[in-house]
Amino acid sequence: MTLALTIGVLTAGAVYLILQRGMVRIVLGFVLLSHAANLLLMSAGGVFHRGAPLLGRSATEALADPLPQAFVLTAIVIAFSITVYMLTLAATGTGDETEDAS
Amino acid sequence: MLLLLLLAVLTVTTAAVPVIDRLPGRWTGWTLAAVLALAAVPVLAAGPGLWAGGAPVEAHLPWMPSLGVGLHLRMDGLAWLFCALVLGVGALVTAYSAGYFPPGRRTGFYFLMSAFALAMTGLVLADDLVLLFVFWELTTICSFSLIGLSGPGASRPAVRTFLLTALGGLALLAAVVLLWVRTGTTRLSEILGDTAWTQDTAFTTVVAALVVLAVFTKSAQFPFHYWLPDAMAASTPVSAYLHAAAMVKAGVYLAMRFTPAFTDNPLWGPVLITAGLTTAVLGALLALRRHDLKELTAYSTVSQLGFLIAVISVGTPQALIAAAVHTLAHALFKATLFMAVGVIDDRTGTRDLRELGGLARAMPVTAALSALAALSMAGVPPLLGFVSKENVFEALLDIPHAPWAGPLAAAVAVAAAALTVAYSVRFVYGAFWGGRPTRTGDDRPREAGALFLAAPVVSALSGLVLGLGVALLNPMAARAAGDATGRTAEPHLALWHGLNPALGMSAAALLLGALLVRFTSSGERLARYRLPPVRGTAVFERVHAAVISAGVRTGDATRTDSPTRHLAVPFVLIIGFAAVVALAGPDFGPPAGPTSRPLDWLPVVLVAAAVLTAVTTRSKMAALALVGLAGFATAVWFLFLGAVDVALTQLLVEILTVVVAVLVLRRLPAGFHRVRPSRTAATAVIAVLAGAAATAGAYALTGRREPSAVSAHLLDNAPADTGGTNVVNTVLVDYRALDTLGELTVLGVAGLIIIAVLHSAGLTADAGERPAVSRTNPVWDADSNTVIMRTVARVLIPLLVVWSLYLLMRGHSAPGGGFIAGLVGGSAFALAYLAAPSASVARIRLAYPAVIAAGVLTALLSGLLGLADGSFLRPLHADVPLPWGGHYHFTTALVFDVGVYLAVVGVMLTALNQLGLPRPGADAAEASPTAGRSTATGGTR
Repeated sequence: MTLALTIGVLTAGAVYLILQRGMVRIVLGFVLLSHAANLLLMSAGGVFHRGAPLLGRSATEALADPLPQAFVLTAIVIAFSITVYMLTLAATGTGDETEDAS
Repeated sequence: MLLLLLLAVLTVTTAAVPVIDRLPGRWTGWTLAAVLALAAVPVLAAGPGLWAGGAPVEAHLPWMPSLGVGLHLRMDGLAWLFCALVLGVGALVTAYSAGYFPPGRRTGFYFLMSAFALAMTGLVLADDLVLLFVFWELTTICSFSLIGLSGPGASRPAVRTFLLTALGGLALLAAVVLLWVRTGTTRLSEILGDTAWTQDTAFTTVVAALVVLAVFTKSAQFPFHYWLPDAMAASTPVSAYLHAAAMVKAGVYLAMRFTPAFTDNPLWGPVLITAGLTTAVLGALLALRRHDLKELTAYSTVSQLGFLIAVISVGTPQALIAAAVHTLAHALFKATLFMAVGVIDDRTGTRDLRELGGLARAMPVTAALSALAALSMAGVPPLLGFVSKENVFEALLDIPHAPWAGPLAAAVAVAAAALTVAYSVRFVYGAFWGGRPTRTGDDRPREAGALFLAAPVVSALSGLVLGLGVALLNPMAARAAGDATGRTAEPHLALWHGLNPALGMSAAALLLGALLVRFTSSGERLARYRLPPVRGTAVFERVHAAVISAGVRTGDATRTDSPTRHLAVPFVLIIGFAAVVALAGPDFGPPAGPTSRPLDWLPVVLVAAAVLTAVTTRSKMAALALVGLAGFATAVWFLFLGAVDVALTQLLVEILTVVVAVLVLRRLPAGFHRVRPSRTAATAVIAVLAGAAATAGAYALTGRREPSAVSAHLLDNAPADTGGTNVVNTVLVDYRALDTLGELTVLGVAGLIIIAVLHSAGLTADAGERPAVSRTNPVWDADSNTVIMRTVARVLIPLLVVWSLYLLMRGHSAPGGGFIAGLVGGSAFALAYLAAPSASVARIRLAYPAVIAAGVLTALLSGLLGLADGSFLRPLHADVPLPWGGHYHFTTALVFDVGVYLAVVGVMLTALNQLGLPRPGADAAEASPTAGRSTATGGTR
């Protein structure tokens, strides 16, 4: 429940920012949205076993699902590169951050 | 073999045209003519064998064997006739072109003519539906290019021709697919040989309608007839080929070919004969009104094609004999007439009947040729046109379906033939005998040279010779009609049949034609009447414009520059979807275990606080920091969930994101712009609903099952499979290394895009120049203000680099690995950057795109090493003994991880250097007051 709540809060914040004007807010919204998506992936692996999947340190039964972790790890890095790319666009775009546009 | 060789020769010739055309003089036309004539020799030689009842010549070459589609070529009697026409007329027209065009290179024209001959030959020889379609479209493309090549005025007609014939091509494609699916084969001879599939009348009617559309657009039948005169904008040799043997004859061929399948269909016959006879009368009527000789000839083609389509609709062997012979006759007289028009145009500089007259004295050979061709067209004995037209009359009279249909069709045909007689006279009499002589004295037109006239002489005399010796055509016509209908055909082609209805009709047509000439003064009086104001081209343009504007209107609905409109659509749709699911109230079962722990509320509260303040602040820097806080809270979540590597990665990425974002934000205004309250409310409602949907979805759809089988497999087998105990890392570099390689590539591409975007767009000027502090303030001097940071960095940077390498090495069995190590290494460079007193000092002089490339290449190479063990990306293992006892487990997965490390570091370097550098040309302003504001954003300069 707590994880689902976190995902919801992140999503709400993300959607709000994405629907605003100006590239920077949209980028920040996408950052929040990627957090939400990553947590959802973790949630898909189940949250009742929370042992770090490092073998030989604790019983295998208590370990968390390693597959979503691997997905999320790469997803974070990809999201990072996309974020940097979008920030680059924000830096090059001209009229987007001005006040007078509708 | 012969047929494959034929196509190969034509292909090679087409490809060689640009080379041949570099030779001086007019050799291209003659060479091409020679090749086509030589190619026609074996085809003609194969004729007697076919007529004697020999098997069709076949050739096969695999093309798409898995689909059963191949280069199946087959030359039966029908294909032989068209193939001979395509090559023979092609040779004549290219020989004529050599004289027609002024000296100079015409690579495009000859290339396209050669390609056209190739496409037409392939089309009539194809025994495979897919192949047929490909060649069909190739003729469309060739004709489009040939017409469009003829000058600026020809571009619109070329486009119209293309769109219209491409429409027919699409219809043919649909017919091909339908036939293929229904019969399970693409072999034309099999489909037409066993017509059991035609029992399904509805299906056959659909296919027939599609084929009719293809035939009508290609062969310029009413109501698509207008493209052919429109395409007259092309140069005369193009028109001659297009009208006599290529393009329009493709439609005739297709209609004849599909006769056995569709003759009994209730749609095929009536539609073909109605459109055919309408076209025949309409084309003849329009031809009679023309002043331009070329236009007259073009409309005459429309009319003659109408005759052909009408007679094909009858479907009896007798009718197909008539169609075959008339196709031959038409090819000969139409090629002659067009070439004669070209000669007249060349000699007198005009094609207008109002300016021409009395040319017979000056140009006796051209006059004789034109007269022979026109008489053949008018159906005057003893020319071939007489025999063929009489056969057409006879076939139409014998329409088997209804007793009244034959006489009616025959009567209309006689009317069209009478008009044909009239416009034939108009052409020849108007240009060569009647009217005022065109220019007299020394200025008078002179006869063209022998080489120029050679081609029309051959085609005109052929019409005469074949007319006198028409009985020789009997075996050819028998075989062609027999192969077209699948029934035995017994032609009795002769000049004299005794007194029969057909002879009477021929006589009636000639008589009526003579009367028309007499009472309309060869159509001149008709030309004065205004036509109803409906022109095919105008209708086409209106339809075309309507289609375009309909597309624009459709596009307008979604056309907006505002990203919000685009982005809101998926959110609202997802909310709606969630609402529908929630209302349906499905049962997801109970959670498989406890989902919450007391400590979990810490990141929940942190995230909530961060998000709430981030969306309300108006300062960009504050929003960035707060989003970063949400990221840290997310990292805490990962830690709580047992994802140590992920938490570490998240933490590092969060730091680096903030560093890069700061570099960007300093170029932009410090605050977000104001938002209207109404917009705030609307977006807030969408956001809250989306958040609720996300929570409900995440809660209801996850955590309802025991750990997956994949999870158990990985946890049980990872050490044995990979030699590593950090299962997440083994998944990344071993089990799912291909995914990682892909993601690595995406990462690298993103780095390159950053460079490309910044270089192509140029950076925006530093907006909102407001020095944060005055010059006198001690914070002003970046150099002395970074002293502490530089001191710390001097120690920390080597440590970070070493630590990152250590993380890389141990990644397989403890938290770490390529991504984390790369991010730690990247943060070392970020620290170096932040600590530097100015951007130009901070610049890291490494070829960072090369670092990215090296990373991706290293990962790829380690993957290729895996091929030694049988599979791409399979890690190799080796135990290296250590001097102090024990051994080090080496695996190429580590090499792969080095690739990951390099790529991540490369992208970090790219972002720092590219975004951090002042915009080009601003280096000189380094010491100016504008540099001062950067001290407020962390001393990045």
